[in-house]
Amino acid sequence: MEDRIAAFLKSRLTAGEVSVSNVYRIPGGASRETWAFDARWRDAGKEMQQGFILRRDPDASVLETDRDLEFRVMGAVHEHGIPVPRMFWLEQETSWLDRPFFVMERIDGCETSPTKVLMDPRFYVVRDKIGERFVDILAAIHRLDWRALGLEFLGVPAHEGSCGMMEIERWEAIVDREALEPQPVLRAAFRWLRRRLPPPAQRIVLVHADYRTGNFLCDTQGQIVGVLDWEMAHLGDPMEDIAWACLRPWRWMGDEQVGGLLRREQFYEKYSAASGLRVDEEAVRFWEVLGNVKLAAIFLTGGRSFCEGRTRAPMVAFLGRNVRRLELEVMDLMGV
Amino acid sequence: MRPTGLEALKGVQAALTEVILPELQSMFVQDAAQWMSMMMESLAGEWDTAAQDLDSDNRALGELLSQARSAISSLPQSNDSLAALVKEIENVLREPAADSLALSVLGARHSRLNGVMEKVLVELEEAAGRPGMEALDAVRQGVYRHLRKVALRGWSFWDVASFRERMVRARAEAVT
Repeated sequence: MEDRIAAFLKSRLTAGEVSVSNVYRIPGGASRETWAFDARWRDAGKEMQQGFILRRDPDASVLETDRDLEFRVMGAVHEHGIPVPRMFWLEQETSWLDRPFFVMERIDGCETSPTKVLMDPRFYVVRDKIGERFVDILAAIHRLDWRALGLEFLGVPAHEGSCGMMEIERWEAIVDREALEPQPVLRAAFRWLRRRLPPPAQRIVLVHADYRTGNFLCDTQGQIVGVLDWEMAHLGDPMEDIAWACLRPWRWMGDEQVGGLLRREQFYEKYSAASGLRVDEEAVRFWEVLGNVKLAAIFLTGGRSFCEGRTRAPMVAFLGRNVRRLELEVMDLMGV
Repeated sequence: MRPTGLEALKGVQAALTEVILPELQSMFVQDAAQWMSMMMESLAGEWDTAAQDLDSDNRALGELLSQARSAISSLPQSNDSLAALVKEIENVLREPAADSLALSVLGARHSRLNGVMEKVLVELEEAAGRPGMEALDAVRQGVYRHLRKVALRGWSFWDVASFRERMVRARAEAVT
């Protein structure tokens, strides 16, 4: 792997010799392989070194996503003050590493694991600050002028009232395609959602669509220095991100705190103050039902990949068997 | 035959976590081994009652579908889709009950029953709260009661993390 990555970097850095070391695969990243490595090269006679992250398409995953979408969105928001790693190269050619990939900056000295962020004493003492940054950054993402960033390619909803239906259709099609067994709860939930569409979005924003504890890098000062996993980003209703951040699966401490970080009322208040948008609780309920259904659809996708032998990742198999608790949550939220 | 399937599963899980995992160097492979261990925990938790659960689910689904057929048939007004659904319910209920406790046989029956239940529940959800459809409410509630029971089964890694308090509540509700 070292030699192949070095050959690729050499072609991009216009450097003489490039050496790559300390290549290792990072756990997680259910939809794309994540590799870390160090590189050294000379640039205009100067010795350079840098840590990189390489995200490579998998053989199969829990979610089929478009790598250049993530690359382009992260590149665009990086230029506008959202803390994300700097993006370097997107490579669609498979001759380098067998599958397409992109390379981005590695941010060292930070933590992303929810267990560490929420329980390690070094992070625990700055948890309130992390919570505040978590809200501020989400509001900042929603304030971005996505037209000015050239993000229309994500697909602009026809109007503010169409965001809910667009996402229902997107995820229902995934369940249609991926489910290996009948899914009464998910099917009923789709019908429930269709009958309870939320009011039109207050404005159409860039939705991260996986904004939660576990998807950001933070340091022991309580700073969030990198928001990760933008592969499901799209244009839509900001309440979708609010609800996703509130999902029970991301309340890692097992209580009702949003992302294990702050109370729901606090989250809503701080977000409203920072974004200028009102949090509509009924809309959040709609998006929370859909969020749990979406997560179940992602797990079903992984389950199919495993059963069809396209992946041997134990995590994918295990998650595929974890849809029941999501169904419980969906039924709780539906009030049935 | 000893070790039984359950004893073997638990033994393999213990070997994985106590013998193999400490020897693994790469973070990625350690993580994979932990997921495998959780998978075994999940399988072990369902091993003993797998056939019984499928069999009782099949009976419950059969009963609920039968109630749905009666409730739909009693509606003052029907439509083509409800009429087709009644036919589908009758067809699946006419199939002979599984005469084997093999998981594959019970599972195939379960899938057929659940496939019809999927369509029924969508119709029940569509009818909920609509005038003239009140007869379906009791069936809808019964179906969700059954689905909640199923959704609480088994072991999930979330039970000790994100769903911890929710599962404590669910178990307390089950006792009362």
